[in-house]
Amino acid sequence: MRLDVSAMENSFTGQVNDCAGLFGAGADMPGMELPTCTDFDGFQKETKELMKNKKGTTTLAFIFDKGVIVAADSRASMGGYISSQTVRKIIEINPYMLGTMAGGAADCQFWHRNLGIKCRLHELANKRRISVAGASKMLANILYSYRGMGLSIGTMIAGWDEKGPGLYYVDSEGARLVGTRFSVGSGSLYAYGILDEGYRFEMSVEEAGELARRAIYHATFRDGASGGCVSVYHVGPNGWKKLSGDDVGELHYQFYPAQVTPVEQEMADAPAA
Amino acid sequence: MSIFEYNGSAVVAMVGKNCFAIASDRRLGVQLQTVATDFQRVFKIHDRLYIGLSGLATDAQTLYQRLVFRHKLYQLREERDMKPQTFASLVSALLYEKRFGPYFCQPVIAGLGDNDEPFICTMDCLGAKELAKDFVVSGTASESLYGACESMYKPSMEPEELFETISQALLASVDRDCLSGWGGYVLLVTPTEVQERVLKGRMD
Repeated sequence: MRLDVSAMENSFTGQVNDCAGLFGAGADMPGMELPTCTDFDGFQKETKELMKNKKGTTTLAFIFDKGVIVAADSRASMGGYISSQTVRKIIEINPYMLGTMAGGAADCQFWHRNLGIKCRLHELANKRRISVAGASKMLANILYSYRGMGLSIGTMIAGWDEKGPGLYYVDSEGARLVGTRFSVGSGSLYAYGILDEGYRFEMSVEEAGELARRAIYHATFRDGASGGCVSVYHVGPNGWKKLSGDDVGELHYQFYPAQVTPVEQEMADAPAA
Repeated sequence: MSIFEYNGSAVVAMVGKNCFAIASDRRLGVQLQTVATDFQRVFKIHDRLYIGLSGLATDAQTLYQRLVFRHKLYQLREERDMKPQTFASLVSALLYEKRFGPYFCQPVIAGLGDNDEPFICTMDCLGAKELAKDFVVSGTASESLYGACESMYKPSMEPEELFETISQALLASVDRDCLSGWGGYVLLVTPTEVQERVLKGRMD
């Protein structure tokens, strides 16, 4: 009986890769079709300019003793216009791994789903879950092969595997960094200020979630390109769980209740002569 | 981003029944970073004349100071306040003087003229006047403001209803703009009183 492995074949490779085989490294490299045009480099440059300024967002993730906390805002902006306040920037790759979205929404959504597919195939082929290091490496290699072509992705892969909690930063320039605290996007500097100040390795899940929520809230206050709602997820030994999803507009008045400003000048009736 | 979007702003003025309202957002930013949330964009010229200046914040402040200066001289010479229509011509002339190195502002002028007739107008950064009978908008959120005002506006609104309408239009529009918002400021002027109110808006 012939084993049907057609599901494992990469639908992107246009040509037959004879050096690869199904389980070789080459089969994992997707080969997307390139556009036919007279000035390919110029076209790529224009596409990159089109995608610039698109990392308007704030996402963060950090490792603590009880797992990984992942948080993000939910605003999508096109230049000055807010195109959506309800974007899901935390992508569920599989039940124990999360990815964050910063940069081009289409790029992030597509490649995270692609990564999810590859992780599942790895599980089926090897009868065990892929590690966070392995998943992030797969993504990093794919992005590196598209380096210079205008993909805009700044993502963090967070998960729990046999070695415990794992957190990697992967971006479209091909960088892959391991670390315990990351924040990505135009509002990341503001989030770092809160995150670095309040971070401790030993925290309860509620405290860690509150820290992440406050960090994202402060970033939405200062950064014009971040806003909407804060979503906070926790990745533990049994997988990820959404901790909270709060509207930032309401959060502000919880942290800083509006004070009635004293009336400075009130017109009084003229005293009777 | 263009120079008009450097600081971010939203200004709107609406006409009601023998009254007018002028409103602005309160954000001062440096491109995407928010620097202040209590910035004043609507200024008083005299009790029945107000000007809102959107665009580059430094030009808005300088232009306001120049206009107040000119109006004070006018008051000394003529021994009365300027009519809104005259003031609009003054602003237009002042802006066109800088035709080849303009102030990067778009003023919105609102005032009560003779017989308590409300007057509103806006102009571009070179002084082209646009008179309107219903509402005028300017700033980075101007396109959203046009849509919101167009759908919410009704002629001859009473002051309370006018306040409600202009507030909702302003807040709805700045919620779709990254560069303006962070609260609102509304000034409602009737022949007998001036009400100023600060709006609680989304602070993101």
